[in-house]
Amino acid sequence: MTIQARSVTADPQRADAGRLRLPGDPGPRLTDSRGAGRVGRVLSATLLAAWFLVPLVPLALWAFADRWSFPEVLPTVWGIDGLESSIAQGAVPAFWRSLLLGLVVAAIATPLGAAAARALTMGTVRWPRAVGLVLLAPVALPPFAAVMGLNVVLLRAYVPPLVGLVLVLVVIALPYTTFAMRVAYAAHDIRFEEEARTLGASPWTVLWRIHIPLVAPALARAAFLAFLVGWSDYIVTVIIGGGAVVTLPLVIASSAAGIGNDSAVAILSLTAILPPLTLLLLLGLAGRRSARPRRRRPDTDPVDPRTARSPRSRPHEPGATR
Amino acid sequence: MTSHLLLDGVSKRFSNDHAPALDAVTLDVAAGSCTAILGPSGSGKSTILRVMAGLDPVTSGQVLVDGVDVAGLAPERRGMGMVFQRPLLFPHLSVLDNVAFADRVSGVPRAVARLNAGLYLDMVQLGGYGRRSVRELSGGQEQRVAIARALAARPRVLLLDEPFSALDPELRSDMHGLIDDIRSALSPTIVLVTHDRDEASAVADRIAVLHEGELLQHDTVDGVYTRPGSLRVARLMGGLNEVPGIIVDGAHLSALGRIRLDAGRDVSAGPATLVVRQEAVGVRALGAEEASDGVVGIVTGIRHLGPRRLLTIRFRAAGAAGTAGAADAELNAELPPGQCVEVGSRVAVTLPPAAVSTVRE
Repeated sequence: MTIQARSVTADPQRADAGRLRLPGDPGPRLTDSRGAGRVGRVLSATLLAAWFLVPLVPLALWAFADRWSFPEVLPTVWGIDGLESSIAQGAVPAFWRSLLLGLVVAAIATPLGAAAARALTMGTVRWPRAVGLVLLAPVALPPFAAVMGLNVVLLRAYVPPLVGLVLVLVVIALPYTTFAMRVAYAAHDIRFEEEARTLGASPWTVLWRIHIPLVAPALARAAFLAFLVGWSDYIVTVIIGGGAVVTLPLVIASSAAGIGNDSAVAILSLTAILPPLTLLLLLGLAGRRSARPRRRRPDTDPVDPRTARSPRSRPHEPGATR
Repeated sequence: MTSHLLLDGVSKRFSNDHAPALDAVTLDVAAGSCTAILGPSGSGKSTILRVMAGLDPVTSGQVLVDGVDVAGLAPERRGMGMVFQRPLLFPHLSVLDNVAFADRVSGVPRAVARLNAGLYLDMVQLGGYGRRSVRELSGGQEQRVAIARALAARPRVLLLDEPFSALDPELRSDMHGLIDDIRSALSPTIVLVTHDRDEASAVADRIAVLHEGELLQHDTVDGVYTRPGSLRVARLMGGLNEVPGIIVDGAHLSALGRIRLDAGRDVSAGPATLVVRQEAVGVRALGAEEASDGVVGIVTGIRHLGPRRLLTIRFRAAGAAGTAGAADAELNAELPPGQCVEVGSRVAVTLPPAAVSTVRE
């Protein structure tokens, strides 16, 4: 009874469909831009890229300019004076100190922010809106004012400058990590973890095998933001660190305050851009790999069990297909 | 995989709710049987499964598996397999590693775990799909993998929380076939939560009807349909016929006349409502003057239900005022295709004694 229908509908995949749309193929998406929209999109993307890249051009030129007098378009004398000068100013140890500071701040603020975000999203906190506002406060507060007051407190409490520095930077980084993670937890289905528990995984195993992998992209974003707080901080390092911790921003600032250091400042600035840029690229690549859209197989898959069910279920329709 | 499950007076109360989500529920699920918990939204169906799985603690009562109270045990130590309405396949693991998850977390070497997982994938007819990403599966395939993953944990009881309600009807009946296959292969104890009466009767041996946290009736599929314990159960099971009357001398008296009740039913005298499934009511169209020895009524409404039609039939009160049968009665009856009946037709109605039951409220 299904013989005739079979020749038409059986296995639409095998039929050479050319550019025909197969069942289940959604066709071009609504978000794909066409015609003038496409031109506009490319143009705005180019302008945006230029907006970010153009400021780097004079920096790159200055970095290797030993002399660049005013009316000239390009440097008049090229050289590596800037590099030598910045190394002499202690750029290398400052670079490592900044890197370490950024990593430590990220390592502390990310799990703390994740825990706070999870508690806020899962409804285990009594007044989530109020607590959320308190967590956001460090962003709203003028850092200088807050840090000046905090400095007195930390000094009175005999907190070592380095510990105080990390402590304050973690507090400043927390709003960023918390809010990055809140977005992730809002979309996170707790039942993944419950399912894992019923499959025999302890809470600890669930954390490592299910929870962290599921929120990993958001964790990476949060850690990146926290790293930036530590990496680029100036005010807190100057005041709380009290000059004991010389990081890259401090070296840049002191160098920029002097006269005739243009090429050294350029070298230092470029150095300061490198680690965040590298991290950003890594983050982008990792995100691209994990979020690559994969097309769902159409339901008429030739080996779909619905069409290849055991004869038991349809004893009277040996060649039936849908 | 075949364990006896007993809920003994289980209550569950959420702190911010006035009414308990579960109210002293006692439910006995025999080893190797399949019980469907049926109820409308908000009746506590999902809560009962979560309590069984240990995902929510009980407020009072015991959850006994093979006679041992598991109420204090963490979910991972209870041996309850759970399949949710969403497949919840771990997106960072392949299909095979999803199914191998339970073995891996219990310390089985990867190669062995994957070998076992392959067997369970075969069982759900997805052999050869192991290396795929879970994003490449269709909805029905995802749910099959979810079932294979739960089975691979070799649970003592398999809990299914509306696992097929997101699938289209055709896929759903395939999944019912799959459950049959699994039952004949492994005979696991299954508790299925659903709001779909047809699904409950297609898959389960017994149906437990839950309403507002209270277990109204737990009986065989036939029992729940034809011998409802209360009008509420009759209505929840989709029964449309309720004819008030009284029982006298082992028969029910109403506008339908005297309906003899089967032996074995409660026939003590007193007021009782007669319930009978609309599918069980026999209807025969009568000519204008044709006499009948059955109960005769007039068709007042016809509604199409796929190939069948649902007739509303009205019966005039026969008894004198103040006696049984003093009020008009109405019956709904499903008419199989082929019979010609119109609104206003006279029809003779027969009620098979085995399908008639009475309820006292």
